[in-house]
Amino acid sequence: MMQKARDGATDARYDFTGDERPHPLTVSFGFLLFVAVLPLLVKSPYWLGVVIVAMYFAMLAAAWNLLSGYVGQISLAPAAFAMLGGYTSGLLWHHLGIAPLIGIGSAVVVTALLGLFLGRITFKLSGPYFTLTTLGFAEISRLIMANSLKWTRGDLGLHLPPLLSNRVHTYYLFIIVLALVQLGLYGLLRSRAGLFLQAIRDDEIAAAGRGVDVVRWKTIAFALSSAICGLGGALYVHFSQLASPEMGLILQSGLVLSMVVVGGLGTLVGPLVGAFIVQVSSEMLRMVGVRHMLVFALLVIIIGRFMRHGLWGAAEQWIVARRRRRRMAARGMAPHGKEGAGGWVP
Amino acid sequence: MLAELVDIAGTGLVMGVFYAMMAVGLSLIFGILKVVNFAHGEFFMIGAYAYTLIALRTGMSLGTALVTAVLVGAAVGVLTERLLLRPLYAGYVDWARIRHEYMIIVTFGLSLFLMNFVSQFIGPYSVKGPDLVARSRVEIGPIMMSGHRFAAFLIGSGFLAASLAALRFSFWGKQIQAVAQNRLGASLAGIDPARVSSIVFGLSGALAGLSGALLAPIFHAEPQVGVLPSVKSYVVVVLGGMGSVAGSVIGGLIVGILENFGAIYVSYAYRDVFGFIILMAVLLLRPHGLFGERARPV
Repeated sequence: MMQKARDGATDARYDFTGDERPHPLTVSFGFLLFVAVLPLLVKSPYWLGVVIVAMYFAMLAAAWNLLSGYVGQISLAPAAFAMLGGYTSGLLWHHLGIAPLIGIGSAVVVTALLGLFLGRITFKLSGPYFTLTTLGFAEISRLIMANSLKWTRGDLGLHLPPLLSNRVHTYYLFIIVLALVQLGLYGLLRSRAGLFLQAIRDDEIAAAGRGVDVVRWKTIAFALSSAICGLGGALYVHFSQLASPEMGLILQSGLVLSMVVVGGLGTLVGPLVGAFIVQVSSEMLRMVGVRHMLVFALLVIIIGRFMRHGLWGAAEQWIVARRRRRRMAARGMAPHGKEGAGGWVP
Repeated sequence: MLAELVDIAGTGLVMGVFYAMMAVGLSLIFGILKVVNFAHGEFFMIGAYAYTLIALRTGMSLGTALVTAVLVGAAVGVLTERLLLRPLYAGYVDWARIRHEYMIIVTFGLSLFLMNFVSQFIGPYSVKGPDLVARSRVEIGPIMMSGHRFAAFLIGSGFLAASLAALRFSFWGKQIQAVAQNRLGASLAGIDPARVSSIVFGLSGALAGLSGALLAPIFHAEPQVGVLPSVKSYVVVVLGGMGSVAGSVIGGLIVGILENFGAIYVSYAYRDVFGFIILMAVLLLRPHGLFGERARPV
């Protein structure tokens, strides 16, 4: 039985059908609504800042999850793309005095084009080339930003104007953008294109055999994922008012990865929840003087090894089991295996 | 002028040997398991720390410290394979169906864990390893280098050559080649692929640990010291061809030499960027590398 389940290439999916699971958009928006009322309860600008950073990471995590959770391609450069997005807007303002709003728009375009270029040359090859290239790209783009003193002021970073002067306004801007990202990803994954992407993840050769242009769709997904990272990075630098090479550290990408894995790889809600859990608890760990990445890296190893759907996957399984038991009890039946197929929900 | 060129090439060649040591280990793992080990740089880092701390804190001889670093590297490699990777591939019959995402995630998680573990318990500051020989300068014709660098070069290339010979001629080496060629076929011939995987991880950890130990006086042991060497070795395996051991050796030497020329004639600040330019060029022009199997488009 175990053997069969493992050989079927289906182990990233759940063994239950969509109609019993809580709808991912309901959960996402419910969660964001909770985040939206937080400023009424929490007045400390410090903790509001922590939540804004968590939302920045949630954008990166959602973007990374699109690529790794739904297409099966691991990029090690989400933070680097965020850094490049931040520097696009930052350099435009610093050297040409272009307004942040236009800068953020150009950041999206620039990072999408970079993703398109890297995707075009690496996805033509099967195997580990993509992951290796993103790692090299991340390290090198960070080194270029840190060493081009004339343009970027190196490790000092660029000081930038805020997009919105009020912290609470910035907070709501981040919520709105994050909600739009979640909505857009949901729409994409429900569409025909979303099916292509997941078909590639589950079996590349079979997908190609059914006429899916594997290289093209992987490249599109990567460009999209990079653009979301670029958007997040550009918004972030105008919140923190500083663009620095630190944003692109591999450790930052590791943080994004651990958020998705802890929350639940290949689920829409997982990265959102994971980003908040990891970011808020790393602030708490910082207070007791433990390096937060020590804890999260250990969690990544354990969850990647034993609990592949992360915390949200586990919660979802629990909810479905409960619903199923209740329905069976209402019909006076003993619970048994799977029920008929419903519409699949990402 | 010629003397200068020879000097630059020679210095680059010395670095190239260390890149080759890292890349051969990576390539062997890729050959056996078809995954890239993203914790490879941390094997290097552990080797550097083992050598430095044992030599400085316990007062043992440098030779003992070096041997311990190799053994520690090998042990970490074997443990990684046993505890983390084997459970991920153990149940699969068809190798093509393994979900490589999780192997990448687990090795990358291990890399982050080791970096932060060292940073938390040993400290984030860098420690300079002791030189192997006190002599400050060695001259061979026009090539000039420090005494330590020369000794490290000799030890490193000796160990690398011995490993390559063992891979080619020894019984275990032949088993490794067999599993790399065809895992199922090798197991039909009575070879235990799981044990071979452990041996490969051990050898790979030993090579990375030794190069870390030998470079500790030059790069200094610090938690993130392994990141650049590992990124370089990824460039090297792509250049040499995924899974090709000969390609890794030659690729390592080429990258070392090209980088040194770039650092001197183009820009020192951007010396680490050249590796990435090489990677891009290889992917665009010759994706299967110098010696690799043809990398098939999907």
